[in-house]
Amino acid sequence: MATHELLLLKNMSQPGYSGSLADYERAGGYQALKKVLGKIPPGDITEMVKKSGLRGRGGAGFPTGVKWSFIPKDHPGPRYLICNADESEPGTFKDRQLMERDPHQMIEGMIIAAYAIGVRTSYIYIRGEFVLGARVLERALAEAYQAGYLGKDILGTGFALDLYVHRGAGAYICGEETALLESLEGKRGLPRIKPPFPATHGLFQKPTVVNNVETLANVPHIVNRGAEWFASIGNPPKSSGTRVFCMSGHVKRPGNYEVPMGVTFREIIYDIAGGMRGDKPLKAFIPGGASAAFLMPEHLDVKLDFESVAQAGSMLGSGGITVMEEGTCMVWAAENLLHFFNHESCGKCTPCREGSSWLLQILRRIDHGKGKMEDLATLTRLCGNIAGRTVCAFGDAEIAPITSTLQYFRDEYEAHIREQRCPFRSQPAPELISVGR
Amino acid sequence: MAEMVTILIDGKPIEVEKGTLVIEAARRIGVMIPHFCYHPKLKPDANCRMCLVEVEKMPKLQTSCSTVVAEGMVVRTNTPVVDEAHKSVLEFILANHPLDCPICDQGGRCDLQDFSHRYTPTGSQFTDTKRVYEKGFFSPLIEKEMNRCVSCLRCVRYCDEIMDVKALANAARSTMTEIVHFAGHPLDCEFCGGCVQICPVGAITSRLSMYEFRPWMMKRADTTCGYCGDGCSLILETRGEKVIEVMSSHGNGRNNGDLCAKGFFGYQYVNHEDRLTTPLVRQADGNLHPVTWDEVLPVLAERLTQIKLAHGADAIGGLISARCTNEDLYLFQKFMRLAIGSNHLDSTARYGHVNAARALRRVQGTNRWTVSYEDIVQADALLLIGTQVTAANPIVGLKVKEAVKKHGATLLTLETLVPSIETTSNITNLSALHVAVPPGRHAAAVRGLVKAAFDENLVDAALSSRAGDYVSRIRAAATALPYPEGLDEAALRAVAKAFAGARRGVILIGQDLLQAPGGHESAVNLLDFLLLLGKLTQPGWGLAPLTEENNEQGAVEMGATAEYLPGPADVGDAAARTQIAGAWKDQPPASQGMHLLEMLDAARAGTLKAMLIVGENPVRSLPLSAKAASALEKLDLLVVQELFLTETAKLADVVLPACSYAEKTGTFTNSEGFVQKVRPGLEPVGDSRPDWEILSSLSVMMGYPLEYGDAKEILKEIRAVIPGYRVLGAKPEPAQVAAKSVEQYLTRGFAEDLPARYSAGAAPKANSHRWALAVGQTLFHSGAMSTKAQGLLELQHEGKLIMNPADAQRLGIADGDRVRLTSTSGEATVPVTMLGRIPEGTLFFPESFREALAGLPSMTPDPVTGVPYCKQLRVSVDKVGTGGASSGPPPARIAGGK
Repeated sequence: MATHELLLLKNMSQPGYSGSLADYERAGGYQALKKVLGKIPPGDITEMVKKSGLRGRGGAGFPTGVKWSFIPKDHPGPRYLICNADESEPGTFKDRQLMERDPHQMIEGMIIAAYAIGVRTSYIYIRGEFVLGARVLERALAEAYQAGYLGKDILGTGFALDLYVHRGAGAYICGEETALLESLEGKRGLPRIKPPFPATHGLFQKPTVVNNVETLANVPHIVNRGAEWFASIGNPPKSSGTRVFCMSGHVKRPGNYEVPMGVTFREIIYDIAGGMRGDKPLKAFIPGGASAAFLMPEHLDVKLDFESVAQAGSMLGSGGITVMEEGTCMVWAAENLLHFFNHESCGKCTPCREGSSWLLQILRRIDHGKGKMEDLATLTRLCGNIAGRTVCAFGDAEIAPITSTLQYFRDEYEAHIREQRCPFRSQPAPELISVGR
Repeated sequence: MAEMVTILIDGKPIEVEKGTLVIEAARRIGVMIPHFCYHPKLKPDANCRMCLVEVEKMPKLQTSCSTVVAEGMVVRTNTPVVDEAHKSVLEFILANHPLDCPICDQGGRCDLQDFSHRYTPTGSQFTDTKRVYEKGFFSPLIEKEMNRCVSCLRCVRYCDEIMDVKALANAARSTMTEIVHFAGHPLDCEFCGGCVQICPVGAITSRLSMYEFRPWMMKRADTTCGYCGDGCSLILETRGEKVIEVMSSHGNGRNNGDLCAKGFFGYQYVNHEDRLTTPLVRQADGNLHPVTWDEVLPVLAERLTQIKLAHGADAIGGLISARCTNEDLYLFQKFMRLAIGSNHLDSTARYGHVNAARALRRVQGTNRWTVSYEDIVQADALLLIGTQVTAANPIVGLKVKEAVKKHGATLLTLETLVPSIETTSNITNLSALHVAVPPGRHAAAVRGLVKAAFDENLVDAALSSRAGDYVSRIRAAATALPYPEGLDEAALRAVAKAFAGARRGVILIGQDLLQAPGGHESAVNLLDFLLLLGKLTQPGWGLAPLTEENNEQGAVEMGATAEYLPGPADVGDAAARTQIAGAWKDQPPASQGMHLLEMLDAARAGTLKAMLIVGENPVRSLPLSAKAASALEKLDLLVVQELFLTETAKLADVVLPACSYAEKTGTFTNSEGFVQKVRPGLEPVGDSRPDWEILSSLSVMMGYPLEYGDAKEILKEIRAVIPGYRVLGAKPEPAQVAAKSVEQYLTRGFAEDLPARYSAGAAPKANSHRWALAVGQTLFHSGAMSTKAQGLLELQHEGKLIMNPADAQRLGIADGDRVRLTSTSGEATVPVTMLGRIPEGTLFFPESFREALAGLPSMTPDPVTGVPYCKQLRVSVDKVGTGGASSGPPPARIAGGK
């Protein structure tokens, strides 16, 4: 496949790049900010981002410029911009690298975004486990304040912005934007019912924009090189720009790879990530983080863009691609994912709270050779009773591994039950379950 | 007029206000959508997912508890898909539920049980391991059974949204989610019982009634609480001769289903083993002996008649508790005035409320509030002065919280407490502006407010032109004073300004103001303040005194005080006398009556020979220095009608057993002047009788029959005699300010005591005792009755002196240590505890345990109203010992331990 220009990972790919302010400025950093502040009206920046076709990189893929334009224009009192850096989706590790290795790229994006939507106070809500990322960001913020990119009178233009790092306390659900807001307010991180949406009733019930790290990191590039340029990358108009995909699982070279949207799974698995470990055949892959339904080898030529993956029955999601080779037990894979979801279900709403542990117990039984054929009908029924009936999208996420493996690997489930053992393993499966604390 | 929206629910059109939730709209046409987490009082949380419905044009099922109606919306609540969704939520909930209905106190009134029955699941597909929580308790009073919990979070949300206490939270995740309180000690909260009441299942229940009932075994009596003047509707649930529990229902009563610790957990005094069950008479051996009513009444009637003949009717006085019903109070004063022929009578409204009632009557022409609780909730500024509202009048406190938290009202506080985050709510934490007022300084603060009205140019221009003389003379008097020393002048001025700038505002005043020197003047001065701002006659504005006892308002209106005939009308008012004489077919005595302290003086002087005391215990209510006991001992005859053998009853020659409110029929009038029914839940305990019945029998024996078939007949007479009782509506109708009275006040009335009202008052006396000690209400006790309620004793079983933690640290005092308090009149030794809301340099002691203070307080009577002031004193503090056995928690006395 053709080589392509790196945008987001470009700086950090240079030898010796430390992510310091000096390095970032040497690489052309903060030029976008200088171009914008006091020179381009805020509304025009929002228009530019709209025109670029940039869509959210956190999972849902909502058009970024449109999100910004939802903020009521004449709302009195404060409004907020939050960077969602609570990257917790299993198989996803791109934001972590973007923050740790090139923090100013995203900070510059935040300052521009704050300017566009008229924000004076902004927060980076970072996953609690990202201790290094938090330290790097704190240092970068100090540098930015020192250099006059943050604070009372930024670059002498009169624009003022304060930026704070807030560390989460270890809950997957806080990546969900309304749970994030609750947590940021100092409460237990539980998703809110919507409407009202954060655009009008967000942090402290004020108009709020929540954007993902990678999304914001794209903003300086759009400003520097124009909306048209950005909209020409990838698979426009619906999937412009690059994405940083996180390759994991049974591939030769796991890691983060930035490619224009629209490359195929075959290209990214076999060319970019070096192909299957041990050259075994591919069995299945998760295309967009643990919440995305499994896809099959027949989907290898599906393009990595929002529409194509959705059409194939899954989602591009957070960009985490987990690849599994022939010989992987799919019941165990589903159980493993459910173990995660059961552990992280916040407990707020009934179907997710009660459903996750029930589903897990059934999967565990099947995997351990104690399944019954009627369990499969129960799994399907329970998944149907969770789908679309929970407060947030977590419910739909937790059933995706089960419904998709049941769709593609029903025979494996049946084999487990028929043989009363796992056909792939001679030893019992590693213990995963700890229902309760 | 609110904008209306028409929607279609199950094919039925209904027009509702814009903003209505679908679940509420459905309820109005009789469609009950099943739910757990929804409660009309709470913000929607949509967590149980039980109330899913189909809404046309929406792809997914919607939670009807969080979906707002929209014009043309088509909702279906009974399709197969919806039915299936409801079943599936039940299936999820029941998967881990222990199905222990046979031993669950909620059995028979449980939403989960009812819905399960409705959806008739025949069996569960769940065959795996059930999640089991270890048994836990919130406290000696509240049982927690998390295996039954449906995680609807109503308890958590209630505790936060309504109570502002935040004592509960949900912890852990997934199916192990549970409701917890702060770890490391038992639940430490306001014990309002709200979590017990609002739990839709048996996860949180009361331990006071545990395992004692099934709901269908209990009789219910809808009645009115007998503790404070808030006038909460409550339901006494009784079984046989015992009150099993107290509940209140949402949408009902002035409290809208909310209760406080006293209301919810404080009912057991009714069934206390020490209740008097038979009349007692002091016999030759000097002791009280049981006798029958037939024996005691003729003798007592004869004794009273003898004294009347020998010494005149004026030798007999009476005192009644304002916890009695209106019917008791009315008949008491009629008995005293006609059967005895004496105006020497008083009630416990004398301890403070008379101060406010007299001020209101003088200026407004009515002793009642010109506002209601609804006006408090809708006010955009509330000014609280010396109320300690959460402790003394908890439900009015909730109205204040609602106004501030839900409607964004500006709260202004002139209170002794200071903001401090603790385990119970603190109204000053919600203040926009707070002025810390030391005990006894509230009157000075009020004078400062009036001065600020001038200094901040807040005086109504129309008033200045209409009543120029009034305005200029008040101005001269008020502004001549300096701002009170030690109070924050700027804050005081800001309070006046903020209040004057409101669209509607209510001033709430309480015991710290009314039961302290200057209490009466302050009430008048606050009416000056409202007049000056031009607000007194505006709708939604008013001065609202809060009463400590449930029927102080009634006591004043029934004429159960020396100065008032029923109405209230002044005893000397010729027209009123003529009118009452018409109704009574007899003249009330012409003499000026003596109030409580005057009667005690007369007893001491030997001119008062007999007293009839109904439900009050002045020996305990007044400090030792009032020498009530020695005065009562000098009487030839002391008759006491009581529930218990109190300190006063022990001195009596005749003790008559009376019914508690739980055994009475009648009415109470709450702080806002709303008259509410009292209905019996129990038959009279032992041979006790309602107070009115005892008086009625006695009158017959004395040959002046005041005969009534039942309490309703007395109410009928009350309604004929007292204007405010003619119509008893479903909702209070606030009184109107009488223009004539205001006119009279503005032209002449204000002047008579102007210099006294705006004098700097007695400056706090500098003496060697540097601590300001206030005696007052606490959250868990009111009067002496509450100290006979087991549930409340579990919460607080002794009086502890409360001081600021910083003060305690300076003195080297730890929680539970004992200190000696010394005042100019005596000394006492008490245990200590700490709270940040008590300001430094100030001490607080719960009134319900005041006997521990013994001889400490001195007493000053109000020169005009005769109200005895004895709740603020100055003391010295010395540590005498470290925490001993006495400060530990009481031994568990409630059945059903681990």
